[in-house]
Amino acid sequence: MRTQIVSTRVPGSLWRGLAIVTALVALASCGGNGGGYSSNNPPPPPPPVNNTQAVQVNLGPNNNVPNGLYTSLQLCAPGSTTQCQTVTDIEVDTGSEGLRILSSALTVSLPAIKDAGNNPLGECVTFADNSYVWGPLASADLQMAGEKASSVPIQIIGASGFPTVPSACSTSGTADDTVATLGANGIIGIGVFRQDCGPACSGSVSTVPSEYFTCPNSGCVVASVPLLSQLQNPVWLFPQDNNGVLLSLPAIPDTGATTVTGSMIFGIGTQSDNALGTAQVYTTDNSGNFTATYNGNSYSNSFIDSGSNGMFFLDATTLASAGIIECVGADAGFYCPPNTVSFTATNKGANLTSGPVTFKIANADTLFLSPNAAFNDLGGDSPNSFDYGLPFFFGRNIFTGIEGQNSPGGQGPYWAY
Amino acid sequence: MKKAILVLTALFISTVPAWAVLGQSVESVRSDQAHLKGQLRSTALQGFSVQQINSPDGTVVKEYVSPAGMVFGISWEAPTMPNLAQLLGTTYFTQFQQAPRSAARRRGPTTVRTDQLVVESGGHMRAFRGRAYVPGLLPGSLSAEVIR
Repeated sequence: MRTQIVSTRVPGSLWRGLAIVTALVALASCGGNGGGYSSNNPPPPPPPVNNTQAVQVNLGPNNNVPNGLYTSLQLCAPGSTTQCQTVTDIEVDTGSEGLRILSSALTVSLPAIKDAGNNPLGECVTFADNSYVWGPLASADLQMAGEKASSVPIQIIGASGFPTVPSACSTSGTADDTVATLGANGIIGIGVFRQDCGPACSGSVSTVPSEYFTCPNSGCVVASVPLLSQLQNPVWLFPQDNNGVLLSLPAIPDTGATTVTGSMIFGIGTQSDNALGTAQVYTTDNSGNFTATYNGNSYSNSFIDSGSNGMFFLDATTLASAGIIECVGADAGFYCPPNTVSFTATNKGANLTSGPVTFKIANADTLFLSPNAAFNDLGGDSPNSFDYGLPFFFGRNIFTGIEGQNSPGGQGPYWAY
Repeated sequence: MKKAILVLTALFISTVPAWAVLGQSVESVRSDQAHLKGQLRSTALQGFSVQQINSPDGTVVKEYVSPAGMVFGISWEAPTMPNLAQLLGTTYFTQFQQAPRSAARRRGPTTVRTDQLVVESGGHMRAFRGRAYVPGLLPGSLSAEVIR
């Protein structure tokens, strides 16, 4: 993998948090099972590193969002051991890939990532609620526990001095560019893919969606961006423990818990602390989904997402016979059954592995009367789908197998629990 | 080929493509097709028709059309969130923006449900999906469940 660092001054196009050093596709050694050795002389395994990063469920930096999962990480200018900072309140999201960090949380200078024409790259991601994040791509070394990924493309949200958001991105949504609107200092995406967008954004420029942009002085335009210049799930770039992640949160009472501390353990079957054990592997389709079946109906757009703060599934009309009604007023969108309801659904992977899961849904209005931040029985609607959010993680060991990476559970993308 | 010529003609005569669909005539589907750079396929069903646009990036947008030629619903499955302002059109997008949203403390899929407009939007990166419809425009006794 070729790394080109070009030191140039870029007059008039500097923005906070970005140095005047520019990097062209600066992805350093991608580690792992790179091959090249004969089977008679396997390389010595690297010494084990600390692969366990603490995570916490709390109400977030705004003290207002239940079931938010957060961690902190160390971020350095590429190759530097002094231009570093620790960033707290980073949301842990298995529904996306890559690090996105608020410009306001950044104190070190990071080199911009530019395209072949030496123009800076920017990214726009619009979320399901039509809010969006916009900002330049930069390169950073990321460290969590003893694991380090070098020269990783990340997104800086709301960087001042960077061109304003293109209309193709912002059409009308609201920007999540402050702690108040993002609910975090950043988001670390550790989903089942290597890149956030993947092949859809690296094809012919006439076919790519309005996600990546190249930003010459004349203005930002939609760009095709090679896979390795896109935002990267940092885990697959670790030199070891790079085939997936185990999120382990303890079981909590049905009435909730004030805060919950758990572990984000890197690697699957690579160390004594991350064996699959009895977990079943559910591979996903090309979009990261599997099929959930409830009451005889199948929902093929189902997924597990630590960034969703409830069990979001079906709707109150479909679930009326089970005793579910929707909350009214401030908690609309959550479920408010008069009595707690138990559900059993059956998940089926693309590999045809199938198994039941059970969970409870309690009255959200009642839950929110407590000072608790963590709830295993908070739910709401997501018509024609099962979005297994953070409540699903309590009391379960949940593995995220990354696409193309070998593991004792086979090759990702998969979920295992 | 005939269809292609028709589409080209439609593009040429509309100098400013109307970003519009929901609640508008079937003609507006073509501006979406142009914007989405997709291929259009039309299917007639009992009591309504479906105009399906497939884009090279994997986006699938379906527009549900009444016998009177009115778009009463849309659905999408896409690797990135589609442009809701365009798909809903100005009137309904404004309603979407102004309607009471899901609770402030909710992080996840979004639902807007009023007498005039229903929008359900969810998914994750690489797999967004959702639908929108105008209850008052559903033809006859058709159920909103047909919009998938």
